[in-house]
Amino acid sequence: MKKHLELDSVTKYYSEQQKQLHALHEISFDIDHGEFVTIVGPSGCGKSTLLKIIAGLDSPTSGEVRVRGNPVHGPHSKISMVFQSFGLFPWRTVLENVEYGLEMRNVPKDERRGVARRHLEMVGLGGYEHMYPKQLSGGMKQRVGIARALAIDPEIVLMDEAFSAIDEVTAEVLREEVASIHKDTGKTFVLVTHNLPEAIELADKVVVLSSRPAKVKRIFPVDLNRPRDRAHEVFIHMHRDILHLLKEELENSLLRHKLKDVKELHDLHDMEEHGKS
Amino acid sequence: MFGFAAWEVVARLRLLPGSSLPAFSSVLEVFFVSVQQPAFLFRIAHSFVNLLCGLVLAFSIALPTAFIAGSKNPFDVTMTPLVMIFGALPDLSFLPLLVLWFGAGDTACVIMASVAAFFPIYFTVREGTKSIPRELYDVTTVFKSNRLSTFTKMVLPAISPHLFSGLRLAYDFDWEIIIAIEIATRVAGIGNFIEGKVSSGSLAQGFAAIFAIALLAVAVDKTFFGTLESWSKKWS
Repeated sequence: MKKHLELDSVTKYYSEQQKQLHALHEISFDIDHGEFVTIVGPSGCGKSTLLKIIAGLDSPTSGEVRVRGNPVHGPHSKISMVFQSFGLFPWRTVLENVEYGLEMRNVPKDERRGVARRHLEMVGLGGYEHMYPKQLSGGMKQRVGIARALAIDPEIVLMDEAFSAIDEVTAEVLREEVASIHKDTGKTFVLVTHNLPEAIELADKVVVLSSRPAKVKRIFPVDLNRPRDRAHEVFIHMHRDILHLLKEELENSLLRHKLKDVKELHDLHDMEEHGKS
Repeated sequence: MFGFAAWEVVARLRLLPGSSLPAFSSVLEVFFVSVQQPAFLFRIAHSFVNLLCGLVLAFSIALPTAFIAGSKNPFDVTMTPLVMIFGALPDLSFLPLLVLWFGAGDTACVIMASVAAFFPIYFTVREGTKSIPRELYDVTTVFKSNRLSTFTKMVLPAISPHLFSGLRLAYDFDWEIIIAIEIATRVAGIGNFIEGKVSSGSLAQGFAAIFAIALLAVAVDKTFFGTLESWSKKWS
């Protein structure tokens, strides 16, 4: 199978005034067509930064991201994204929010209405078209976010902690739906998460990153039949192994931070927040 | 209602010294006659047009400046303290200078009104711009919005509740400024009319003019700004 998305030695430094912060260090891995890849790592390790680089929202200091072998510079028309806090426009109705990506591509109004309606049906929000985001629950808002991401018919869907701002029961239902959307559409999915069971449940492979500067610590292929059973022996073992790795990383980083200036971590966090590079 | 009745009683019984308060009923009578006179309406229109010109001028300068200040920190730290210093000055203290440079006419009026309107618009728009979540900018980038549509379809609607309240404040404030200038410099608007009538003893006509301004000001406030606000209340 040909590679869909390639990360080749992606390295990222943030610099502000005299300080330089090493966020990502030579991250390389490939993602196949139709693969579901999840990325986990200790908090603050830069996994969201990595996703932003794939999305073209940020650029690597060195190394590159390739889609179908072509280097990506800036946002790519075949890459779409689902956001952690949903990223809906509150002044737009549900339908208008789903239409947004098509509107930016100058798709005629009638056509994009139709496409948006179909995608709302798909995520179970038919009949909610004319509501405003404030009238929806968190889970419903994220359904709108997913419909918007899919409406532009992307090849790759990036999800940044997409289930973390939703209550657990709703999140579980939504994960199952995302899994079935993945199965039905055959699109490539990349999910960044700090929720390990979620990462294993959805993934064809789990990429574990180290603490900052983030490197690929290990990649776990998940050879389990879908729908996944969280009580399955292999599932439990993998969960334990990844957790062990992450704990090790966390201890490493705590140790390093004792030796270094802890303020640096805050600075990195601030810079990521403000998106300065 | 009770207030108007009390007014009528006070005036009829001549509880105030001299003839300083005309009866409410006679003010109403003069009001209905006046609003049918073209000259009177023209006076009001004159003031209103000056006010609108001042507002539009302030809006077209304050909106882009405040947007840049709200989104670019280096610009904000140089610009905003300057704006604050000017904002802290009593606006009307510039009036003699404006009259000296532009003469006691509509130009001075419009500039003064725009100076006064600048601050509420600037600060509300800057605040609104700062409160746009970064994630919404990421959404526009991921879905490949160009700069223009990012501004018109994301930034403008996002800041609109702030912008509307800034405009409303500026509008209310500008009525005071316009009337004050007209009284002080004899520009031929409705403020000047009031001053002329009151000093020549036609108090009922003065009151009728005040009524007319109040009605116009409230009508615009309720219809125009009311509509804008009810739109933004639907979703915010």
